[in-house]
Amino acid sequence: MTSYLIRRILYMFPIVFGVMLITFLLFFVVQTPKSMAQRILGPKAKPEAIQNWLHNRGYDKPRFINAEPGKHWWDSQFFHQMKSLATFDFGNSDATGERILNMFKHGAIPSLLITVPSFICGFLLSLGLALFFVSVRNSKLDLGGIIICVAMMSVPIQVYVIFGQWLVAVKTSYLPAFGFDMAGFSTAKFLILPVLLYTVSDLGSEVRLYRTIFLEEIHQEYVKTALAKGVSSTRVLFVHVLKNGMIAIITLVVASLPFLIMGSLVLENFFGIPGLGNLLLNAIHTSDFSVVRATVFLGSLLYLFGLLLTDICYAAVDPRIRLQ
Amino acid sequence: MAQRFLFIAIACMLLAGCSNDPHPPAFHEKRADGTPWQVSYAPFPDDPRSLDPQFSYDTLSHSIICLIYESMLQYHPLKTDPYELVPCLAESMPERISTPDGHPAYRFHIKHGIYFHDDLCFPEGKGRELVATDVAYAFQRIADPKVECPVLSTLAEYIVGLQDANAEAQKKGSYDYTKPAPGIRVVDDHTFDIVLLKPFPQLLYWMAMPFTAPVAKEAVNYYDGKTHDGITREQFKFKPVGVGPFRLVAWRKGLSLRLIRNDHYITTKFPTDGWPAEEASRYAAMAGKPLPFLDELYFRIIRESIPAWVLFRQGYFERAGVGKDVFDTAISAKQELTPEYQKRDVWLYKDAEPATYYFLFNMQDPVVGKNPKLRQAISSAYDFDLENEIFMNGIFLNAQQLLPPGVYGYQPNFKNPYRQSKLDQAKRLLAEAGYPNGHDAKTGKQLLLTLDMTIDDAESRQHAEFQKEQIERLGIEVKIEENLWATHQDKVDRGNFQFTSYGWHADYPDPENFFFLFYGKNAAPEGNNYCRYANPEFDKLFEKMREMENSPERLELVHRLNAMLVEDCPMIPLYYPVVFRLSQPWAQRVVLNPLVFSGPKYTQIDPGLRRQKQAEWNRKPAWPLAVIAALLAAAGIFAFQWSQRHD
Repeated sequence: MTSYLIRRILYMFPIVFGVMLITFLLFFVVQTPKSMAQRILGPKAKPEAIQNWLHNRGYDKPRFINAEPGKHWWDSQFFHQMKSLATFDFGNSDATGERILNMFKHGAIPSLLITVPSFICGFLLSLGLALFFVSVRNSKLDLGGIIICVAMMSVPIQVYVIFGQWLVAVKTSYLPAFGFDMAGFSTAKFLILPVLLYTVSDLGSEVRLYRTIFLEEIHQEYVKTALAKGVSSTRVLFVHVLKNGMIAIITLVVASLPFLIMGSLVLENFFGIPGLGNLLLNAIHTSDFSVVRATVFLGSLLYLFGLLLTDICYAAVDPRIRLQ
Repeated sequence: MAQRFLFIAIACMLLAGCSNDPHPPAFHEKRADGTPWQVSYAPFPDDPRSLDPQFSYDTLSHSIICLIYESMLQYHPLKTDPYELVPCLAESMPERISTPDGHPAYRFHIKHGIYFHDDLCFPEGKGRELVATDVAYAFQRIADPKVECPVLSTLAEYIVGLQDANAEAQKKGSYDYTKPAPGIRVVDDHTFDIVLLKPFPQLLYWMAMPFTAPVAKEAVNYYDGKTHDGITREQFKFKPVGVGPFRLVAWRKGLSLRLIRNDHYITTKFPTDGWPAEEASRYAAMAGKPLPFLDELYFRIIRESIPAWVLFRQGYFERAGVGKDVFDTAISAKQELTPEYQKRDVWLYKDAEPATYYFLFNMQDPVVGKNPKLRQAISSAYDFDLENEIFMNGIFLNAQQLLPPGVYGYQPNFKNPYRQSKLDQAKRLLAEAGYPNGHDAKTGKQLLLTLDMTIDDAESRQHAEFQKEQIERLGIEVKIEENLWATHQDKVDRGNFQFTSYGWHADYPDPENFFFLFYGKNAAPEGNNYCRYANPEFDKLFEKMREMENSPERLELVHRLNAMLVEDCPMIPLYYPVVFRLSQPWAQRVVLNPLVFSGPKYTQIDPGLRRQKQAEWNRKPAWPLAVIAALLAAAGIFAFQWSQRHD
């Protein structure tokens, strides 16, 4: 187990390095540091101002290898950026000069306020509905439920958001159409609608997935045995099937846990929630490469961490699995 | 079961207690004298990049900076034709003087009794009086390479010592603030001179911009972004301390900015002239009164236009721009408010921006650059009115010259002979250019031109297609080169284009700020003459004109420069943009000058009317609560029965 974990952690290094290399290349293929500077300083900025901006941020160094006489070969943009990321020194935002670590700290809480309740509500609701559909499997109710789930899966989240804002905020005036405020209990009024929409938008796919997992379980021999012994169908469903089905579900769910901190790009943007999703989207819009770089780095680390967690969970919940 | 119903009841009650008002409560309900505390709520499209007056060069940042800092001069908020500068921190308009060594200079006298905002950076947290060395310090910061002032090179061309101070700091790696400020001679605490290398009448406009706004050294030193005694201080660019009508009390990134009035503010009173005659009674009631009228400003950051519009409709914002998405909802075919918005008593404003948009030819291109008749032909063929109808809701103004309305030298009745959309004339000019019916007279080959455009969505692609078709009416073939904004800007900088579309928004309403775009010595990439127009006669006249004060002689020069551009046609003026804006009935707009960024300084609102309208526009029907309660109850009953059945 320990050697497996160490091996997996070592694998992370080349993967993260590859991700950062691709991000670096993609960003500079789309635009040069000069055009980033121009976008940030405005089209009227003079070449001297642009040069000064580039110099102060190290964007005037060679891209990968420094071949200038008297300079170290690693004195380049890429290696400097890799070094700062490896030491978790994210530096300052290109666009505003604010410390990126501070931006992450400020963004994480609003993101978690949306994603954690959505995750918990969505998980419990999906589980409940999936079990219910399994209990009425092969009935018209089950068929209707599946059709609704497929329809819900097919609708993009933007449609849910626009409809939700129109109905709840505009037509009936119960909740704000937009905004966020960290002000104790009144924060809740800004969270209800986004959490509801986040939960509903994922419900279709999750109910279908969990239903499939539970259906697989319900045909197992131990279920027949339990029913033959006279155990009630509710008990079989909520104790035996749920417990065994959770092995597969937990491994799926755990992988997404670290990602909760990254928030939701769409919801945060539509509702003006200053979370990490909004931060990334805005960084892309404003050509703030330093923030994009740090966010992608964080995202890739969280993803790999999620995968590692999944493997550990497999071993923890299913004694038959041993990690080697 | 009873518990479930209790839960449903509580949930419904909580929901009923919610409101769709997205704003936090104001700082106070009432002022000390018992009158209502006036708050204005406005959408703000993004976080300002920086609130450092010497660094910021974008309209968003200026919209906040100009409320916190003030400069020596300011624009009259009501006068637009022509625009007029009036004193702000200065006691009076500056005197033109000559230094003993013969340099031209301007002498400014600062008003007495102006104090910086109370702030921790000052002893005992009390703002101190503004003095001339604060202006000198601002000029030192302009020269400091670490501040990255974007207009340094422009000002260094005219102000004594600025360039040298910057060069020395670059060489040494840091700026020496112990040396006297470049170009500034402090005469006494309230008097200073700006010493120039050559005449520079445009300096007065620069003295109305935030770049030259005085800054307290204490604030820059205190807000260093470092940790002191366990407390991390903000960076100066995020914690402005000025002398303006408002002070920043909270900036929550990505969320909001809150400003409250500076109680010590005495700098400006509401103007006593310049208003339109038809609104004399409204303006006369405010004339001469101390500013600002508002107690608090709340800017909500909204990057998407639709939510901003929704909140305006609900009465939670005082104003809104009429974007394309909502244009037909709010504006009728006659360019008036639709009946729905008339019923709401909303105010509609049609603001012409001091900007010009045009086609730009690369004058170094062997085909278009060397053939004025070809450029004139393209110009003559173009039908902007049709483009305006199709793509701009018909609201933009057809441009006949480079200078937009309000800028000194603009000729309202001027008709550009090559902008009358006459296809016959265009074809004749094209034949004279050597391309009868769009084909090369020598080789017989069809002429192919490349139009470089910034294209980032379907609409901009359709727009480019329209422009292509307009020119192809001449028989020429036009190829559209699609670019992202950054690539387009890069191509324009490097001169890697044949012709393209471009625009210029006035920094200040002087013809120099437009004609310098065609000044030979200002050629890109170092300067802004992107078309690389090089006409020695134009340059000579331009150099003469830019150093003159406004006068009949200067006006004549401006008209001659205009005539040269019309005849040489390095660019085709297309339009002056017009923006439609709405204000709520309780927040009728006051400022008429688009160059004034400190609009909220002059604005007032009627909180009573706002409360009344908000209540009227946001009534909560009871049926959603009934539906939710019924659904939850039905689900509960169903679940109960189901569990009973299966046990």
